[in-house]
Amino acid sequence: MTQPRISQSRAALLAIAVLVAAAILAPFIAPYAADALDLANRRGAPSMAHPFGTDELGRDLLTRVLFGARVSLAIGLISALVSVLIGLCVGAIAGAAGGWIDELLMRATDAMLCIPRLPLLMMLAATVQPSVPMLVLLVGLVSWMETARAVRADVQSIRQRDYIAAARAVGASAPRIVARHVIPGVLPVVAVASTLAVGRGILLESALSFFGVGVQPPTPSWGNMLYQAQTTMTSEPWLAVFPGLMIFLTVLACNAIGDSVGRTRSR
Amino acid sequence: MMRLVGRRLVQAVPLLLVVSLLLFTVLHLVPGGPLSAYLENPNVRPEDIARLRVSMGLDRPLPVQYLSWLAAFVQGDWGYSYADGRPVMDRLVERVPASLELIGAAVVAALLAAVPAGVYAAVKPRVDRITGIAAVAGISLPVFWFALLLQLGFAGLLGWLPSSGRSGFGDRGLADRLSHLVLPATVLAAALASAWSRYLRRAMRETMGAPFIGAARARGVSERGLLWHHALFNALPVFTTVVLLDVSMLASGAVVTESIFAWPGVGSLFVDSLARRDYAVLMAFLMCGSVAVVTLTLVADALVLWLDPRTREAA
Amino acid sequence: MNPYNRRVGVALVVALVVTLLSACGKGGDTAGGNVGGNPGRGASNELLIVGYDREPDTMNRYATHILEDIESCIVEGLVVADEHMGVVPLLASAVPTVENGGVVLRADGGMDVTWKLRPGVRWHDGVAHTSADVKFTVDAINKGDWKPESVDGFDRIASVDTPDSLTAVVHYREVYAPYRWQFVRGTLPRHKLAGRDLNTANDYNRAPLGTGPYRLAEWKTGEYILLERAPDYWRGDSLPHIRQILFKFLTNTTTRINQLKSGEVHMVALVPWDKVRELRDVAALRLNQVVGNGYEHVSLNQKRFAPFADVRVRQALSHAVDRELIVNTLLDSLVTIVNGPIQPLSPAYEPNVRRYAHDPAAARALLEAAGWKAGTDGVRVKDGTRLSFTLITQAGFAIRENVAQTLQQAFREVGAEAKVQLVDGTSISALWFNGNFDAMLHWWQQGADPEITLFFAGDRAPPAGRNINFLSDTALTALLYRSDRTVVESERNELLKTAQRRVADLAPEIPLYNTSKIDAIPKEMQGFTGNPTNAGPFWNVHAWRIAP
Repeated sequence: MTQPRISQSRAALLAIAVLVAAAILAPFIAPYAADALDLANRRGAPSMAHPFGTDELGRDLLTRVLFGARVSLAIGLISALVSVLIGLCVGAIAGAAGGWIDELLMRATDAMLCIPRLPLLMMLAATVQPSVPMLVLLVGLVSWMETARAVRADVQSIRQRDYIAAARAVGASAPRIVARHVIPGVLPVVAVASTLAVGRGILLESALSFFGVGVQPPTPSWGNMLYQAQTTMTSEPWLAVFPGLMIFLTVLACNAIGDSVGRTRSR
Repeated sequence: MMRLVGRRLVQAVPLLLVVSLLLFTVLHLVPGGPLSAYLENPNVRPEDIARLRVSMGLDRPLPVQYLSWLAAFVQGDWGYSYADGRPVMDRLVERVPASLELIGAAVVAALLAAVPAGVYAAVKPRVDRITGIAAVAGISLPVFWFALLLQLGFAGLLGWLPSSGRSGFGDRGLADRLSHLVLPATVLAAALASAWSRYLRRAMRETMGAPFIGAARARGVSERGLLWHHALFNALPVFTTVVLLDVSMLASGAVVTESIFAWPGVGSLFVDSLARRDYAVLMAFLMCGSVAVVTLTLVADALVLWLDPRTREAA
Repeated sequence: MNPYNRRVGVALVVALVVTLLSACGKGGDTAGGNVGGNPGRGASNELLIVGYDREPDTMNRYATHILEDIESCIVEGLVVADEHMGVVPLLASAVPTVENGGVVLRADGGMDVTWKLRPGVRWHDGVAHTSADVKFTVDAINKGDWKPESVDGFDRIASVDTPDSLTAVVHYREVYAPYRWQFVRGTLPRHKLAGRDLNTANDYNRAPLGTGPYRLAEWKTGEYILLERAPDYWRGDSLPHIRQILFKFLTNTTTRINQLKSGEVHMVALVPWDKVRELRDVAALRLNQVVGNGYEHVSLNQKRFAPFADVRVRQALSHAVDRELIVNTLLDSLVTIVNGPIQPLSPAYEPNVRRYAHDPAAARALLEAAGWKAGTDGVRVKDGTRLSFTLITQAGFAIRENVAQTLQQAFREVGAEAKVQLVDGTSISALWFNGNFDAMLHWWQQGADPEITLFFAGDRAPPAGRNINFLSDTALTALLYRSDRTVVESERNELLKTAQRRVADLAPEIPLYNTSKIDAIPKEMQGFTGNPTNAGPFWNVHAWRIAP
């Protein structure tokens, strides 16, 4: 069963790499300027000139999808970074310290996990009306709990390992133990958590934008393109299909990667 | 065993307190706070706002406000909705049956799909491949996109199913109700079934490798019997907790689905209240959602303890 | 069976039962479940299903923050605005004017308006509608703690006398030109509400007592309001023709239009212009269009963005916009271009005002003359300040978002930078109410009375009024107040026409187009006219019928 699994994750990695590259290079490879309106060519179906069609203002959809990728991927990646960093800190401290610190941190984690995530985020975004950086922070702030739990469990199990006891017996200092043993030990967990967090972040941002409380037009993001496409679903379905497809494929790739990293890890 | 349940119960209280503290902080992060709706009404004069501020107790120190808010909440006084002035509890409670209906249908559908898929995926490689891909796709699918596509396809283009609502007016027959339920329940069930089939597959594979299965096989139990009676029953308790936990977290998915399909449950109430900044309703929704999660987690834990004696020793 | 398996079995059965029970749900069976009628697709005189864009906050016409379509089927005003924006007596027997002696100007500067009520009108509970109800309404609004949303003009009323049960004499402290519309929202029933705190009279707010063709049969929160024919309607027993009207709450526009197309609802009022083309080919529908009494425009806040205080800048921006292009493409030519705040349908409308044609060259010349030189990045600069401002508009309106971006491009072509910012509906009122914006794309939807003092008088800047341009022109202000105090209609209209010419010269805002109102109704419906004012299309609901 190893063959299909590895090639699946390779395909996913390739897809992500292509997407990120396309997003970074968007200003150069996009066929049209980012905000070029063309009121004469509104609502055009996919064609040679416009492979993804055009929208309500005659803007080329492929261009918008590429520029939207920058926003959506950036939010996904950076919010994942934020959430993993927070989760790593919380989980590592809880796992290493134990006692009442562990209790306190885990209570907080549990509490955050209890609150319905998307509604909470929607309410925060609706009231704060965030800019893109603020949005990244908000998404990161509601996504760290899974990482924290996983890291804590991992740190706790690593603490019991023989090689940690051996290192301590030899006289290695705590920071050295952490640097040489603990951190490399939790890396696999963090890796899985990160990839899953990227997917989660993209989904959360697009859900927020879909309800009009995320990235605000005219700045394109895949989520708010879907929000704008809602009104024209039946007559111009391509406006909804392509952005949603991009979200789906990206998240799929992230989950596939996270999945196979999780599976190939030996325990 | 009861002591264990009791201990969990006691642990739940500080959890809920932390949740309430977090939500109270969020409420006051809002520019204007609970008064924001009034600030936007041009006809409300500054002296009215000052009067409201005092009558709502907003001039008292924050800890005092928190305690009185908490006390009121626990007693069932969730404030009044800005939208129509009615008590928030009424507005929420009257929408609960619709949400339960949708969630119930989604759970039934998801189980019908996930259980066979998970069980067979554990033993048949081809089924495993297909369901594996489907499952990863299912959890990667943006809920709102999927909902829109279904609406577009089945209601818009094909016209087989109604696009929204809970029932056509004047016709409350079962067939009509079911036809309205199909699309939104499918949307919810897709994500659930994907997660559950994967979980069950993993659990089943672990169980099928356990010694007691080998012993049963040696005793002559059929493969089918092994699969469905021995292994599945063994995996069931923890699977049930997974189901319960996922259901308790359905608040998020339900919000999107109910809104798109105009399903008159608590989720669409949340979205409508969001647009109006009806904070009393929003807060009550978040608190109740959190309480539901805590309660269902408790039930799940108790269930596992009751069903699986092994966990009692470990606990 | 071992105890473990038995427990699992019990747990499973319990879970199954719970799930199935919740899936069956309480089904929402209601007291009004016997609403029969034709459950099929078409509208009929038995039942008309209206897709409505929101659930009312209250059924009290004075307290509601939104349009009063549903309420107006139940509670009738003393007058109503008809489809030509004329004032038509409803519960009054005639509209009082100076000519017919109904309006008397007093020597002390005040005026007395005598309302004669239509005889034979009863509230739905059988009690007669009298002048005591008029007096009660005025007292309820002016005295006490109840401060509802819509109280224009009531604060100018000193007192009300009721010499007989069908006559109410309203004493105004000063001459108030829009007096005709004072009671357009109707009266509160004295016998039901006297002595009660109106803030908490939820029985009335949920099911108001009225005199109209319909009464409330059922309000299923979150889903619909059902109206049924009221017996003994004063217009005669044969009216209204349609027995029941169901207002289904469908906040999502796409859902609402989809249900209209599939026949799940029969009628939708105020179809958004970008949905009209989807509905043109639907055989069961007819699209009724009327010129609206509102206009979409860009307000330019002179106080907050100092460059707007220069009239040349405002005129230049007006020249920059290609309104024809916007109307013909984004709006499918469904609206008409206008040049001022008073709309073509109004008797006070002045067509001969200064117009700002699409002329980017003229715009650039004006900006150059005003000292704005082209900067390095294409944005004009003067004394170190860039001509860069924020244009806000309400989120959730596809058309507005598109128009805003088109405007952005138009301004860029003449060297002005507009940053588009979408603000949600609830927050945006706080912004303009406090004057916290540079430029705003929005509409005013006006009542039938042509008063524009609120919008352009120098002393009516927020919070005293809606002069959110912060325009201050002495001549204009004087004109407007004079018109307010002129009760003779023809004289007042002349003053307003002069005012409109002055407004166009000053260009405090950039008028774009008139907000025409398009309603989608069943093809077989007769008697529907639509209504340009905020009286709404249900103003003559009693006359509608579905032809067989």
